[in-house]
Amino acid sequence: MPLLDILHSIEINKSKLNKLSDNEKIVEISMHCRGGQTCITASQLLAEMAYEEDFRDTIAIPIIGAERRGAPVQAFTKISKSKAIKTYDSVINPDYMLMFDTSLLDIPTIKATIKEGVNLIINSPNPIDISSLPNNIKIFIVDATGICIKHNFMHASGPILNIPMLGAFGKISGYFNLETMEKVIKKEFGESRLEKNMSVAKDAYESVREI
Amino acid sequence: MVEAQEDFVQKRETIIIKGNEAAAYAAKSARVQVISAYPITPQTTVVEKLSEFVDNGEMPGTQYIKVESEHSVFASVIGASKAGTRTFTATSGQGIFYAHEMIHWAAGARLPIVVAIASRGPAPPWNIWADFTDVLSQRDTGWMSAFCATHQEIYDEILMSYKVCEDHDILLPKFVAYGGFILSHTSKPVIIEDQDLVDSFLPSLPSEEGWPHIWMDPKRPMMFGNLIMPSSFYLEFRLKIQNAFIRVKEKIKKVTKEFEKIFGRNYGNGLVQEYKMNNVDVGVIIYGDLALQMEQAVDELRDQGYKVGMVKLRHFRPFPTEDIIEVAKKVKLLGVIDRATAFGSQTGGPVSCEVKTALHETQETAKVLPIINGLGGREVTLEQQKNQLKALIKFNETGEIPKDTIHGTLWDGLLEVE
Repeated sequence: MPLLDILHSIEINKSKLNKLSDNEKIVEISMHCRGGQTCITASQLLAEMAYEEDFRDTIAIPIIGAERRGAPVQAFTKISKSKAIKTYDSVINPDYMLMFDTSLLDIPTIKATIKEGVNLIINSPNPIDISSLPNNIKIFIVDATGICIKHNFMHASGPILNIPMLGAFGKISGYFNLETMEKVIKKEFGESRLEKNMSVAKDAYESVREI
Repeated sequence: MVEAQEDFVQKRETIIIKGNEAAAYAAKSARVQVISAYPITPQTTVVEKLSEFVDNGEMPGTQYIKVESEHSVFASVIGASKAGTRTFTATSGQGIFYAHEMIHWAAGARLPIVVAIASRGPAPPWNIWADFTDVLSQRDTGWMSAFCATHQEIYDEILMSYKVCEDHDILLPKFVAYGGFILSHTSKPVIIEDQDLVDSFLPSLPSEEGWPHIWMDPKRPMMFGNLIMPSSFYLEFRLKIQNAFIRVKEKIKKVTKEFEKIFGRNYGNGLVQEYKMNNVDVGVIIYGDLALQMEQAVDELRDQGYKVGMVKLRHFRPFPTEDIIEVAKKVKLLGVIDRATAFGSQTGGPVSCEVKTALHETQETAKVLPIINGLGGREVTLEQQKNQLKALIKFNETGEIPKDTIHGTLWDGLLEVE
């Protein structure tokens, strides 16, 4: 088969894939934060929460280097109900993007992965300027930082954003609810701060909105 | 020693854990008696997780030793193993190189030590990401070496390794390697097996008497590591190691079968695992994490009607020469994909050199195209692997040599430099 035909058939396959329901496809999520904003842990927790909800194969892929506090960090999670996940590579066509810090939207390599059809969840108290983003995307905002401050949900260098961001993701995607979150958080972190975790998750779950 | 809370009480469960944690769980399931630890990226969380187990009293009786370097890590597990205990440690890259003297020693003393390796690229330039040059550069030390493609395989392979290594006909140490970060720090569902079932699979822990060939017992004094004159048995000891490596191939096959029977997970014949190798024109030999992703690349090209297949190389030492010869009979062209270097060798890639050596006396065998990719953790995407297969198909059909083939080896994924 000539190379062009191969490329053509791949395109067809891709467009088919986009129409598959969540039950048949591998759902890919990318997360972007700054060092200390806890998106690495978020990718792991998301894999565990989805697993609880019948996503039989999941993988959490943190991209780890020598990042320090404040440096851009990314992590990916792939979840699947019926297909085995065989790839370890980065997510470049995410179904969902979790943006922990609005300043990351200006980084060209991150911006390039905001493509048609993506569901973009942004940590921001106010609607952001979306004029430079592609048209056919869904944008949601949640004031994750504000929620953390309200509940004093902080670690040494700032708010622990992973729980509110996951709460917002759970609501938007419909993949898991607060009960599932509670189960996983309890398993991972024990009882001691469970109540605070859940207050934060609940606030985010209830306040995330589309713009 | 920590007071035992409970005996090893592991029940069968599926948990979402990092590759490093899978290695730690395997050591726990194997009831290792002595762990020696020194942290090095990306291995650190293996020994961290084990220290948690020991501290929580989940590994009653296990001695956890903190030492000051990898040289001492290996020296201490050698001592512990000589005394007749099941031992475990884990390391990476520079840590292996620092311990190299002791690595030779462990094999020469025929100690069944199992070591997990979260592989990383050798420095300089300083590198902490996936590259199997660290473990492959230990080629001639007398250690067995296996590669894992999945998180589950890390857990499973460590269990199988103890069974192979501790067999009294074998008594050899073994590395169980997996890509740094790609497997060590990503998380997937892993089945941790029921303790009773693992106990029934593994040999019982060594008795008070220790191993059959070496022990530390004041009632049975023994001298070891002493000077041996050229006229004495040095040559014969070395032959015995090579003979054990010949015997171990059958042992690995047997243990892999037994493992499948008990736990239900298949790893080919243990040495290699074929994937869609029937009715093929072009195949690849590949190892480590990239082998799993290559399965999907093969699937997708098969869906488009291409006759491609792959072979996952599970062991580098012993090298499965006979299996490679059989595999090469099935295809016209064989790509051999290394994520490692062997500078100054014929192909530059350690495994492609081995494959060429294995095939050199075989008539009418496949043509070999060595491929090197992903060094120092350079990302290899699914798309790139599909393009590798396409390049091989084109090379097979038209004779067109793939771009970036340098001195006969395809260096895939080079940066564009003006």
